[in-house]
Formats: sequence, C-alpha cells, structure tokens
Amino acid sequence: MQILIVEDERKFACVLQQGLEEEGYAVTVVSSGEEALRRIESGVAPDLVLLDVMLPKRNGISTLRELRRNGFSAPVLLLTALDSVADRVLGLDVGADDYMVKPFAFPELLARVRARLRRPSANEQSVLDFAGLHMDLAGRKATRDGVALDLTSREFDLLEYLVLNRGRVASREMLIRDVWRETLRYTSLDNVIDVQVARLRRKIDDPFQNKLLRTVRGVGFVLREE
Amino acid sequence: MHLPLRVGNLRLRLTIWYGTAFAVLLLLHIGVATLVHYRQLLDQEFYAEIQEVETAEGLLFRTPDGLVSMNESYFNRPQARRSLDRLLEVLAPDGRILYQNNKLKGIALGGSPMPDEGNGTYNRRRLRLSDGRRVVLVSHSHWLDGQLIIMRLAYDEAPIFASVTRFLGVLILLAPFTVLFGAWVVFRVTERALSPLNTMVLRAEQITAERLDERLPVSDPSDELGHAARVFNRLFQRLEDSFSQLKRFTADASHELRTPLASLRSIGEVSLQNSHSGQEYREVIASMLEEVGRLSHLVESLLFISRSGSGQIPLTLSTFSCLELVQEVADLVGILAEEKHQTIRVTGRAEVMVRADRGILRQAILNITDNAIKYSPNSTEILVEVDVSEEMAKISITDQGQGISAEERSLVFNRFYRTDEGRSRASGGAGLGLSIAKWAVEIHSGSIGVLPGSSGGSCFFVFLPLNHGL
Repeated sequence: MQILIVEDERKFACVLQQGLEEEGYAVTVVSSGEEALRRIESGVAPDLVLLDVMLPKRNGISTLRELRRNGFSAPVLLLTALDSVADRVLGLDVGADDYMVKPFAFPELLARVRARLRRPSANEQSVLDFAGLHMDLAGRKATRDGVALDLTSREFDLLEYLVLNRGRVASREMLIRDVWRETLRYTSLDNVIDVQVARLRRKIDDPFQNKLLRTVRGVGFVLREE
Repeated sequence: MHLPLRVGNLRLRLTIWYGTAFAVLLLLHIGVATLVHYRQLLDQEFYAEIQEVETAEGLLFRTPDGLVSMNESYFNRPQARRSLDRLLEVLAPDGRILYQNNKLKGIALGGSPMPDEGNGTYNRRRLRLSDGRRVVLVSHSHWLDGQLIIMRLAYDEAPIFASVTRFLGVLILLAPFTVLFGAWVVFRVTERALSPLNTMVLRAEQITAERLDERLPVSDPSDELGHAARVFNRLFQRLEDSFSQLKRFTADASHELRTPLASLRSIGEVSLQNSHSGQEYREVIASMLEEVGRLSHLVESLLFISRSGSGQIPLTLSTFSCLELVQEVADLVGILAEEKHQTIRVTGRAEVMVRADRGILRQAILNITDNAIKYSPNSTEILVEVDVSEEMAKISITDQGQGISAEERSLVFNRFYRTDEGRSRASGGAGLGLSIAKWAVEIHSGSIGVLPGSSGGSCFFVFLPLNHGL
C-alpha cells in the first residue's frame, strides 16, 4: 500500500513516515502541493494521501481541489491545525475523505488510514475469537476459555472494539468516539475510560494466567497475546 | 496635532453657515421692509391728494369761454409749498380738456376719461406720462356751476422713490456690519462651547493601552459634550475591563501551559543524563506523552474559551427534557462514583423541558457532576434534582463534600481558579471546567451559582428559561 504524505513540517513528516512504515506501508513524503500534483500526474498514484492544509504557496484545499479535478479518486485525509466547523466543512466539500486536527494521537491516524484502505468485507462477523476469548455478537455473550464473562453492555462494546483492533493500540480518543460515541471535546473523560478498562480487566484477565488487556502508558490500550 | 485644527474647521464651518443664513434672511427682511415702506408712502400720497382735490374744487371757477380756471392766488395753506408741484387737469365727460395747470406743460394727464371716472368716489391710478414722469393720480367728478367736470390731480412719484431708495441704501449699507457682527458672536460662542471638546481630544490622545485608566474630563454633565464624554468614559471602562481580563487570562494561560512544558523538558533532560535500558526509555516516553496529553487538552480548552468569549461558537438549539440530560450525564460518569462507593441519585420532574444546545449544556452539567464526584469523600451521596423554580427550570447538584467557603464561592467560576492548588492538578483539572459551565449556562440566558448544601458540602444550581411550547 502506497501512502503519500504532503507536509512541509519536516520533523512531523518524518515521524509519520516512520510510524506508517513500521505498520508496513510504503511511504513517500513531499513538502509542497505542487510537488504532490506533479508526482501524481506523472503516474505514480498512491493508494492514500495525507495532506496538510497549511502548505506554503498552494495550500492543501487548493491542491485537493486540483487533484479531484484531475480525476484522482484515492482517499485523502486532511491534516490541519484549523478545527473550526467551517474549516471542516470546507475540507469535506472539496473532496476530502476525512479530517484530522493536529495534534492527534498516532493510533488514531493509523485507525483512520486502515479504515480508508480496508476493502469492504463481504459479510459482517457475528462471532469473534481471540486467544481463548469468544464473543457472540448477536447474543451479546462472551466467554474466556469456556468460562462465561459477566459483562455490562458498555464492557461488552469495549471488548468487542479491542478484539476487532487486536494487536493495535486504541487511544482514549478513539474509545471515547467509537465505544462511548461521545462528541465532547473540552471535558476529559480519561478517568471514565481508565476506570472502565480497569473493570474489564478485572473480569477478563484477573482470573486467568495469560494477561491480554495491556495499558500502553501515555498512548492507550491494546489487546495482545504475549 | 491636527485634531484641534479640525475642531477649528468645525467652528469655521458653523460660522460660515450661520453667516450665510443670516445674510440671506437679512436681505429678505430688507426687501420686505422696503416694499412695505414704499406702499405706505404711496397710500399717504393718495390720501393727501384726496385732501387737495377737496381744496382745489373750491378754487375752480368757470371762465366765460366755457373753460375752467383756477384761483392760483390761494397759497396760505400748510401744504402750500407742496402744492406748487401738483399737476391738475379738468376734463369734460366727453374728454374735452377744460383746464390744465402750467406744471403739466401741455402734457395730457391720463388721456380720455374712463366710464364713470371719479363718480361719487376717488379713483386712484399710477401712470407714466409721455415725458417719462411716473405719477400718482386721483380723479374725482363733481358739478361746477351746473356742469359735470372730472378733476384729475397728480404728483410726481420721484420724491417717494428717492425716499425709498435712501431707506434701502441705509439698510443695505448696515447689513454687512450686522452679518459680520453676528458671525463674530457665533465664532466666539462656538469657541467657548467647543473648548471642552478640545480638552477631550487632547486627553483622549494620551489614553493608550498602558494608560486605559485615564478618563475624559466631563465639563458639564447636562450638555451634549458632557454626555458624549460620559459615553466615551463608559467605553473606556469596558475596554479597560476586557483588556485587564485578557491580560489576566494570558498570564494564567501561560502559567498553565508552562507547567506541563516544564515537566516535559525535565523528563527529557533527566533521562538523557545517563543511559538507560529500553524499558526505562519507554517509561520516559510514556511519561512525556502523558504531559503532552495534558497540554493538548489544555490548548483545546483555551481555544474553546477564547472562541466562546468572542461568540464564535454557533448554537444548535433543540428542545429536550432536563431530567433525561442529567440522567445521561449520571450514567456516563456514574462509574467514577461507583469507584468511590458514591451514589448518584437523580430525581425530579421529567416534563421540565428547555430549549438549548444540548451538547453544550451537557458539557456544563458534566463538568459540575464530575467536580462533585472528585471533591466528595468516599461513600457519600450526590443528589441531582430537576425542578421548576420561579418560572425557570432548575437543576441542582448537591454533594456531601467539604463544601466551599463563602469567600471562595464567588471565585470558583473564574477561569483557572482551583480551591486547592496541588490536589486539583493531581486530579487533572486546569480550573476551567466550572468557567466553561458558567459560559454554557449564561449563553442560554440562564444563571449558575453555588450555595452551601443542607447537610454540609455544596449545592451547585443552574437556572434555565423553561421552554413553554410544551
């Protein structure tokens, strides 16, 4: 999978490149909109573009407009420090597929990139299995090593999300948005998440030998088999 | 210093306007007065002529040749000198000239008689003679020795005209002095009236961002300039208030931003002093990330506050039940209470509806409830009530914590205010939660406050306008 990063802030671009390459993507970095347009016109079409909005000379919005006019159809994620509603709407209007406000959590970026590159799956899974964990999504029942887990509705949702993203770190922002479905941005619900995760851990990990739910300090949580 | 000059221009303009208007009015005045004077002189002449006709009638006598003559020797009347200039003509009704005095020098006075001329009355006419003289003429018919005659008596208008011209000349000659004097008075008066403005301008020039506490002088509070000065002073007051608020905010914000920055820096510097194992570096980076998270959250909040302060947050209004909203919040943060063995009890009337931006209001209730959990000891109860009070929806959140002292009660809604510096930062707040809540409530025309709770602790209450479209 080819990812093109258009970002003039060299340090930031390098970190993104490193992070994405570690996830197995092939990454190219250019530092201006003109360069990105030239590259894509010359036939090197990436599968996804990470496009900074505040670029020197030709900005991200104008670059994106030009790309779409030329028939470029791959997903484009805008990266920006502008987060007013008007800015978001403008970005999506000119053909962006997603919009990320700096500073964002890297796992969040990974999740969005994955979501954009994921091929639509033929059928939704109704059962999840992971390291002895078994989840019946229709009946909303979960067991580990055959032992029934008594989970609250929220705990079940949280576990389902972590199993679906197994091996990948889920940041608190992702959990708040995807599990709690909250849009609050000015009140930290980190405490709520931490407590909820601790409770889930008590139920799915404490009685067992192998610990699955790990905290990646400063980043988030991950379900991983050692 | 061009500003005082502009005041001078205003004065000059006022004076010129006034002078012009005054001059036009004065000329109109002079014109009307002259006209009236002229008409009056003509009337006087007419009545004097009627008198003379009466006198002259007695002096006429018929001559044997069928004509009329006049006894010119009769001069001992008061108007005798004037009568030297009079023009007299006597006609028969058929137009025959019976008598002409020598002043007429053979020129016809008015030509052939008009029908009924002077019959039983005195006809008055003004006409121009063939030698160019303008005259005022009176005709009267009467019987002289059994024959009807028409007497015409006239005087030259020239003396009247000369008198009127003299009158007009004097007035016109005086007019410029009058106008100049008037303009001068206006010029002096406006100077006096506008002098406070000059002082105000000079003072206003000295008011800068650093000296916003200066005020304009109010010379006379009852006049327009005094009013303007007071209005400007209120403006300066508002400017000073928001300026000092901004200063305080900037100072507080940079203090708050410095703290996580300082931690970040120290963590990095200390960990680079010696070499550590990979696991230790992971710890260091994680610790730095935690500080970064705090910093990001702080910046988000500060942005929100600065936007809300400048009215940049659009409201999406909807109508909803207060009880549902507080129940939702209680469910969300209930898990935190459970950890401390606290109970959140939600009671109240489900039919209490408000019209507001649900997300923003939810934030407010969430911040208050979150605080209540944070500052209450274990195993206590937090009571959330929805009620109607004084035609307003009332949401109250009562905890059994240590309470807030009277002097702190007015401060808790201030930005960056924390009741207990060290403890609060450990629990993750920057002291912005309640100030955001206050903004959220007030933007919906509501009010927020805190009172001591009935059983110790505090009672935060929010009043919101009821939605009457139930």
